[in-house]
Amino acid sequence: MPLFVLTETSAGYALFKAKDKKLLKSDTLAEDVSTAEGVCSALKLKKFMKYDSATTALDEAAAVMDGKVTPMLTKLLDELKDETKASLAVADPKLGNAITKLPGLDLKPVSDSTTLEVFRAVREHMTSLIPSLAPSDIDTMSLGLSHSLSRHKLKFSPDKVDTMIIQAIGLLDDMDKELNTYAMRVKEWYGWHFPELAKILNDNLAYSRVVMTMGQRTNASETDLSTILPEEIESAVKAAAEISMGTEITDEDLDNIRALAEQVVDLTEYRQGLSNYLSTRMHAIAPNLTALVGELVGARLIAHAGSLMNLAKSPGSTIQILGAEKALFRALKTKHDTPKYGLIYHASLIGQATGKNKGKIARMLASRSALGLRVDALSDWGVNNEDKAEPTEEEKSALGRESRLNIERRLRALEGKPLKSTGGNANMTPVAQKWDVKEARKYNPDADGLTGEEPAAKKAKTDDVNGTSKKLVQEVESEDEDETMVDADGADETSESEDESPKKKSDEGLSKAEKKALKKAEKEAKKARKAEREAKRAAKAAKEAEKEAKKAAGEGKKDKKRKHDDDGEKVEKKKKKKSKD
Amino acid sequence: MAFTPRGGARGGGRGGFGGDRGGRGGARGGRGGFGDRGGRGGRGGGRGAPRGGARGGRGGRGGARGGAGGAKGGQKVIVEPHRHAGVFIARGKEDLLVTKNLTPGESVYGEKRISVANNNATENGAPATTTEYRVWNPFRSKLAAGILGGVDDIYMKPGSKVLYLGAASGTSVSHVADIVGPEGTVFAVEFSHRSGRDLINMATHRTNVIPIVEDARHPLKYRMLVGMVDCIFADVAQPDQARIVGLNAHLFLKVGGGVIVSIKANCIDSTAAPEAVFAREVQKLREERIKPKEQLTLEPFERDHAMVCGIYQRAG
Repeated sequence: MPLFVLTETSAGYALFKAKDKKLLKSDTLAEDVSTAEGVCSALKLKKFMKYDSATTALDEAAAVMDGKVTPMLTKLLDELKDETKASLAVADPKLGNAITKLPGLDLKPVSDSTTLEVFRAVREHMTSLIPSLAPSDIDTMSLGLSHSLSRHKLKFSPDKVDTMIIQAIGLLDDMDKELNTYAMRVKEWYGWHFPELAKILNDNLAYSRVVMTMGQRTNASETDLSTILPEEIESAVKAAAEISMGTEITDEDLDNIRALAEQVVDLTEYRQGLSNYLSTRMHAIAPNLTALVGELVGARLIAHAGSLMNLAKSPGSTIQILGAEKALFRALKTKHDTPKYGLIYHASLIGQATGKNKGKIARMLASRSALGLRVDALSDWGVNNEDKAEPTEEEKSALGRESRLNIERRLRALEGKPLKSTGGNANMTPVAQKWDVKEARKYNPDADGLTGEEPAAKKAKTDDVNGTSKKLVQEVESEDEDETMVDADGADETSESEDESPKKKSDEGLSKAEKKALKKAEKEAKKARKAEREAKRAAKAAKEAEKEAKKAAGEGKKDKKRKHDDDGEKVEKKKKKKSKD
Repeated sequence: MAFTPRGGARGGGRGGFGGDRGGRGGARGGRGGFGDRGGRGGRGGGRGAPRGGARGGRGGRGGARGGAGGAKGGQKVIVEPHRHAGVFIARGKEDLLVTKNLTPGESVYGEKRISVANNNATENGAPATTTEYRVWNPFRSKLAAGILGGVDDIYMKPGSKVLYLGAASGTSVSHVADIVGPEGTVFAVEFSHRSGRDLINMATHRTNVIPIVEDARHPLKYRMLVGMVDCIFADVAQPDQARIVGLNAHLFLKVGGGVIVSIKANCIDSTAAPEAVFAREVQKLREERIKPKEQLTLEPFERDHAMVCGIYQRAG
């Protein structure tokens, strides 16, 4: 029963034969092999197989790292074909297992603490054992191999897809901040010339567009703002421009303000594109997580953990408080209660819960997310699909959606609300009507920057509501809705809660249809205008269509409002505090 | 260690190289800016300032007497060898820890460089040469902090082979590479890909650094790259740090080789008192057959950090 030793070096494979069959059993093994002479007398080089090039070295090393047997190694081991009942000392048990599976070899791999001793000795006295290998050779080979291996590793990094998400969400957050600062600056700057405009227009994008098209406020009367603003706001702007108390500015000043306004508009558009990109990526990479907590929260969780795989490896309890480390460690140190939620707080499900239930829902959601994440990260969709086709998006996110339904049901039970009725929301209509007045006060993420201006904004908005033509206001809003999906915190919460609760599915459909109608109408209107006045008729027709659609959707909208108003504002304020923890 | 930001091991709490004092202020608790690269807080800030000075001073390199160029812009600096071979002290207005630059003319992470004319130049009749040294910032490197703290033995000297676990971007590694010199080798292990990128970049200029982007928990994965080493330096701030060090020592460390472990109490157990954590870690090292020789705190450079040095004893 001869004993062989397989060693992998950076220069090639070496196979030694132990002179003493019982080498591993010897009690004095460590001392025996501690010197170069000792190890040379204990082991005899049977074969040294040098890598012929740097690329071979890279391939072989990469395979050995993964515990795979390469053809070259098989060739080397073929030397031992004639040996029967031989044992082979291998450093890595995984590699040993792979070797046993080789056909035509009768080898028993050993790797334990005694072989460790042998390998230490071999490593120490490598050059005396392998005469053809100079110390400088080993050095240059290891240097070359380590560089190529590391480069290879970086190049084929498994979490490159997650990196895109991490960077995108980072950029999205940065951009929200930047956009807000810029928009504020535009308002502040142009405000010297036309202070009234900021009170009339709350929306940053619309404000910047008006600045870009109108320029000097004296041009107001002859500027066509109808593409930017709804009718009655346009008229309000024009009226205000007549009697404005702002100072005069030169054209040079205006050019600079315009340049900034242009930046705001461009950035806003870019932000929109980025958020679409992020949400498609999230749906593709982590469908179940996205179904449970939404794209933004999901992306933040991934970014916080570093990669999807890292996140999938963490338990639900960790996911629950991810982002609240400071509070957690403070609590642990002072022996207080640990935080109930971290980043996950911004998930819409938690936003729907009140009081104590928030913590409970956070726990359930986190543990469900942990399950969903493991499916997302570890399932082999599209990898082993020889026999079955890749599942559809629906199927992929099935676990997440189902869990979400469960949690929603549980939440309803906890909150003592009636369980969801299938279609008739009779009990909700009165509530919705109660809040009817506030309809236009839907949270507008673009107005976030306007800290000081709320009263005016409200006024302006309620004006709109009471005003005759609702539809164009709605048009602006519907745009906003698109954004809210991807907008941070509060906005995404509300919109998601709306989208995802199945009770609202029907309404959803309506509002989608409505949106489509709106968009079509818009397009039509634009074309028509360019093709001279005749479009007015078309636009009117479109508007009417909208109106109808709106009426139809009215019920649904109210529904949403109710939920939103329930905890919307409070939640948003709290959220900001909490997230700082 | 679910909460350590990705920079592999380091908590990302160290920062502010730019500041000459209390480098800790800067990015404490935050993660250094964009890429979450661990332990690299104030890179941007740290860069510009020192370099300007260095440029100015080194104008007359290769000739100028008293070429104390570098950092102090022409101010006289005398470089003396430190008690530890390979480490030097630059005595100027204030004393700085420096290492001999292996790649003269290049900074790795924006650190200051000092070039000094060699005294023996005239004896040989050869033209005066200069030696360039790089300033080693104890706020950024635990090993430098340990040396300034008066560690008895760093187990590395010119010609040594060192296994460096938790190499991060390779800032400290570059100084260790300076210490061991061209005859020695540094095997730098870092798990994070982001930091690994910088490490590889650094290693391309220093041929005595072998970069390994791999998890130090699985030393078998890099067994073919690493030979037997004289010393293991570990700065991996993981709860199972002692185990990691042990695994690597069993595979790669010579009997009687040195082990230096930098321990961040918070990363092992944030609830216990730092002293208790250190004691526990030392005990764990003992179980890994590493005989502890000394333990010192890294104050004032790092808070709640300790450096433990030991000797690997295979048999005992």
